[in-house]
Amino acid sequence: MNDKPMQTATHSHSTFIPGPDAAMIDISIDGIELKVAQGTSILDAARQVGVRIPTLCHHDDLCTAGVCRICVVEVEGARTLQASCATPVTQPISVKTNTPKVRSARRHIIDLLLAEHYGDCNTCKRNNNCELQSLAAEYGVDFYRFGHPTEPKYAIDRSSPSIVRDMNKCVLCRRCVRACEELQGVGCLTVASRSSRAHVATFASKPLANVVCINCGQCINHCPTGALTELDQTDEVWTMIEDPTKHVVIQTAPSPRAGMGECFGLEPGTPVTQQLNTALKRVGFDAVFDTNHTADLTIIEEGTELILRLYKALVEKDESVKLPQFTSCSPGWVKYMEHFHTNRLDHLSSAKSPQQMFGSLLKTYYAEKKGVDPADMVVVALMPCTAKKFECNRPEMNSSGFKDVDYGLTTRELAGMIKESGIDLPKLPEAPFDAPFGEASGAGAIFGATGGVMEAALRSVIEMVTGKQVEDFYDHANILPVRGIEGARLAEIPITEVGPVPDLLKHLVPNWDWLKGATLKVGVVHGTANAKQVMEDIEAGGPFSECHFIEFMACPGGCLGGGGQPIPTSPEIRAKRSQAIYQIDANYAVRKSHENPMVLQLYQEFLTDGPCGHISHHHLHTHYQARGKFIG
Amino acid sequence: MLLTGQDNEKAVIKELMKTIGSERSELIPLLLAYQDEFGYVSEFAMQYIADQLKIPANEVYGVATFFHFINKQPKGKFIIRLSRDMSSIMKGAKSVARQLRNDLGIRIGETTPDGMFTLEWTSCIGMNYQAPAMMVNNEVFSNLTPPMVHRIIEECRQEVRTRRPTVGNVGETFSSILSYSSHAPNSALTRAVEEMTPVDVASELTVSGLKGRGGAGFPTGVKWSLASKAEGDVKYIICNADEGEPGTFKDRVLLGKYADLVFEGMTLAGYAVGAREGIVYLRYEYTHLRPHLEAVLEARRQANLLGENILGKDGFCFDIRIHMGAGAYVCGEETALIESLEGRRGEPRNRPPYPVEKGLHGRPTVVNNVETLATASCIIARGVNWFTSIGTERSKGFKLFSVSGDCERPGVYELPWGMTVRQLLELVDGVGAKAVQVGGYTGELVPASQFDRVMGYEDLGIGGSIIVYGQGRDMLEVAENYLEFFVEESCGQCTGCRIGNQKLLDGVRLLQKGTCSNRYLNDLIGLSHSIKSTSKCGLGQASPNVFVAINEHFKEEIMARPVLAA
Ligand SMILES: Cc1cc2nc3c(=O)[nH]c(=O)nc-3n(C[C@H](O)[C@H](O)[C@H](O)COP(=O)(O)O)c2cc1C
Ligand code: SF4
Ligand code: FES
Repeated sequence: MNDKPMQTATHSHSTFIPGPDAAMIDISIDGIELKVAQGTSILDAARQVGVRIPTLCHHDDLCTAGVCRICVVEVEGARTLQASCATPVTQPISVKTNTPKVRSARRHIIDLLLAEHYGDCNTCKRNNNCELQSLAAEYGVDFYRFGHPTEPKYAIDRSSPSIVRDMNKCVLCRRCVRACEELQGVGCLTVASRSSRAHVATFASKPLANVVCINCGQCINHCPTGALTELDQTDEVWTMIEDPTKHVVIQTAPSPRAGMGECFGLEPGTPVTQQLNTALKRVGFDAVFDTNHTADLTIIEEGTELILRLYKALVEKDESVKLPQFTSCSPGWVKYMEHFHTNRLDHLSSAKSPQQMFGSLLKTYYAEKKGVDPADMVVVALMPCTAKKFECNRPEMNSSGFKDVDYGLTTRELAGMIKESGIDLPKLPEAPFDAPFGEASGAGAIFGATGGVMEAALRSVIEMVTGKQVEDFYDHANILPVRGIEGARLAEIPITEVGPVPDLLKHLVPNWDWLKGATLKVGVVHGTANAKQVMEDIEAGGPFSECHFIEFMACPGGCLGGGGQPIPTSPEIRAKRSQAIYQIDANYAVRKSHENPMVLQLYQEFLTDGPCGHISHHHLHTHYQARGKFIG
Repeated sequence: MLLTGQDNEKAVIKELMKTIGSERSELIPLLLAYQDEFGYVSEFAMQYIADQLKIPANEVYGVATFFHFINKQPKGKFIIRLSRDMSSIMKGAKSVARQLRNDLGIRIGETTPDGMFTLEWTSCIGMNYQAPAMMVNNEVFSNLTPPMVHRIIEECRQEVRTRRPTVGNVGETFSSILSYSSHAPNSALTRAVEEMTPVDVASELTVSGLKGRGGAGFPTGVKWSLASKAEGDVKYIICNADEGEPGTFKDRVLLGKYADLVFEGMTLAGYAVGAREGIVYLRYEYTHLRPHLEAVLEARRQANLLGENILGKDGFCFDIRIHMGAGAYVCGEETALIESLEGRRGEPRNRPPYPVEKGLHGRPTVVNNVETLATASCIIARGVNWFTSIGTERSKGFKLFSVSGDCERPGVYELPWGMTVRQLLELVDGVGAKAVQVGGYTGELVPASQFDRVMGYEDLGIGGSIIVYGQGRDMLEVAENYLEFFVEESCGQCTGCRIGNQKLLDGVRLLQKGTCSNRYLNDLIGLSHSIKSTSKCGLGQASPNVFVAINEHFKEEIMARPVLAA
């Protein structure tokens, strides 16, 4: 599992990944003898033999911090207890994990954390999914030995459209700080001040909405407590559902289907697409649609944009054309660009994200078909993502004449609504998506996994350019070279033959001869820290600068690891969700965006001047804003 | 051309970067230098510096808020920082503070409306033998009394009018430092270069039994030899001159009087280890020593005692630079020191790896205390036999002790290991004391009943700070003062140290009020052991010592507070 950043992060605390030729060392843990590679942490060694050591600041996604000290163990010969997560095995040792001294120390640490932890479990979003609460239960905390705060110390920061920070619940494990810095390369959060005043802060302790935050929500996903949560909009959505004058529809992205089951006790990687449709209808949505349709539409629009860029660059020798083209469907990534790489905003495809395309179509095309006044229509989007909340609030996202998407709900928020409705999701019968859109394509579904957008694009581009079936080149249309988990990867797709230009694109390019014998170079990047390095590579004229097209996803693993997905997250969990996504893809009848009948119908009925035409530009494309890094 | 405020800030930062450097490791020097120009570090400056160093602005904020002496807001032209160590408190620091408040018309932590004065408490400034003491900007004033305060404030006002620099007012420190004063300059270095291989130098120190004088007592020769064997072409020698342990001032005296000896020791270390770069990490409170140290370094360069091919030895190249701390006791801990040298928050690292394997910038690094380095010079100059003939079986040689508190003759003493506490008290005329703090706040509180204990690694083998407590001293006040210090100075990483020390301090205050139950007291003692056993660095591992000690030795006293009128 290596979707960690390409190099270790900037801060200097260590990680323990033994090299391939590390010596094997004999150790004993609670009397169990084993051999581990030199450099393995005591914690990992214990896990190998099934000895459970509690952790709090440790997270499998992140570098070692060793700050909470809950994982202490006795190491023979050591003067003090040792933090097992932060102590590598360098010589034969004997470890005891369950002694009175260890238990008392752990209990004291929990007591101390509770003495600072202001908040009530009953009113907390993380009730029943909180690591502090679990530890307290595990260690038999029956009273607040060192007291319990009766007043908050910090005002809750609700300024961000995506993320709420309640530092009164913070245990200073620094997982959010590390996630933001190591996984995302943003560095929006830091530990400020010191001693008992130490706290996690934004720059100059400004409201989150005013600092350089990309809203990705990885801090939420990595928080052990309820200190970080999404801005919950379920009450507003309930109000809309209850309002008989409103036509409330929901579009659902691919990743929540792959993750939602986890909120209902299912194993990670259990897809629940059809049950989810039933649940959403029972919750009270008037119609349930598949965001994959606009994922397919994104492929056509973004793919056409790419072809146009290539044509202008290669045939017309237009030097103002920017390549590589970057995907623009991940709103965290887009905002990252707007803050950090303002000089390269025109590399971003102007295509809107699938969420926003759908919003615009729903309030125009669908509203007309259905005969509802778009003013009375409420579009909700079920997303794996907290940045989608920010995205739908962008003032420019109103091409329908209304706010295109009214609410972006995370997987977690919607799980809450389903539970509140008394629905046991896994037991529900299946239901299809609603007309007029119906089922989309598998290409749209794999948008949820890193490499998916690229694979979907390639499935279409290959067929449109060669006139042949993708299956002629790749078994079952699975384009394996762009799949994988490495944080940043390159692939080359040779175009050995060309066919006729399909009808959809005839008005844009005369023929494909100019692509014959060319090699399409593509990149796939996930996790913003990796994106940061790829951008540096591009600035330096490295291999990524030679790409034609690069898929960027802000979150590790792509959307399936998004900041709105069920907690916890880990490399293993993300791998399972990824399997679910590819399984969903394999089950679709149509697996290529350009074969999605709904997409074709849209170009016939509504977007009548074709991909990247005026109408599509109005509804499906957008522009970006240079925000920069400096804040006043 | 007229520059806007921000353009001016940018220009200044760019200019500073030209001389200081534009690496991440220069972050703290840059912030301090910027502050020298503008009085404080603005939000814009933090962002601009971050941008130039290619790090997130928030990291700069995290660093700036870690250190006491980096101002995030405008402060007075004169920042008065009154030392809050126990010696100062005993000698009347609180009345001096009251007088300052009266005369300036502000409370502690505030700035006068005219922007002239800011008044603050600070941790120990290393002037305990002349307590109470305070700093006005970088100048030190000692032996303060309430009437003196008025004169100092007036002088400051005068200074602004006449542009005269403030001149500190520090008396001579009593010191008896015989071995150092009789050292023939550079005899160790000459001997090493002429007669010894690098390996010889380290092994001779190992044989001498010299152990680190910074507190942890690690054998110096072993440290040098580990670093010399560690892989890597770039290695560093760091002289730890952070001297933050309350009650310690011997390193300041050494740097003031025997800087050459210290630099000679660093150069020896460079020779033994194969390092080319030495860094003196000088605590901010000792800024006043810097010009002197720079002059000594320059003279050494002129004399080819530093630089290329030192003393004509081909390939022996070594130079030393000074890096200022920014106000954090914990940065005396060697890995926190290294973090701050790299431009980060001064938070101790996880170990292993140890600095000798992976220290500054991930390179093998020797961190030694000022005194360790000076002593190493003496040993190499005079030979092992001279050194081992002094001291005891397990504690070879001599040690400097900083003595303050309730005694007639405070100062710095060079003493052989092996004296009892009682003998020391006789020497400094502190006879009749109630207790003695040996080894600074992280050391041990020794009650009168144990004055026969021996100062040496076999018993009280800890750093060299001695604070004498006379009969009238209130042990709860002592514990309160120590814990206030640790609460303030904890880096805040470890749960136990961050929250636990505060709970102990609260506990002391309950005891002071006479409202602590026996059960809660026992809970706090249990907590003390957990803080000690779970903390990452020596601070948390020692901070509860005083709480445990007053319970062990002064239980009657602390449980018998006068009953307040109901
Ligand atoms: C909280 C803390 C503060 C310390 N402060 C100092 C200090 O001010 N000066 C010093 O030389 N060592 C200090 N040390 C010890 C250093 O970590 C380190 O052991 C020492 O500099 C090594 O040098 P030595 O081997 O010459 O003693 C401190 C340790 C701790 C845990
Ligand atoms: S023991 Fe205290 S000072 Fe040391 S690392 Fe832990 S929190 Fe920081
Ligand atoms: S889990 Fe090991 S110190 Fe926090």
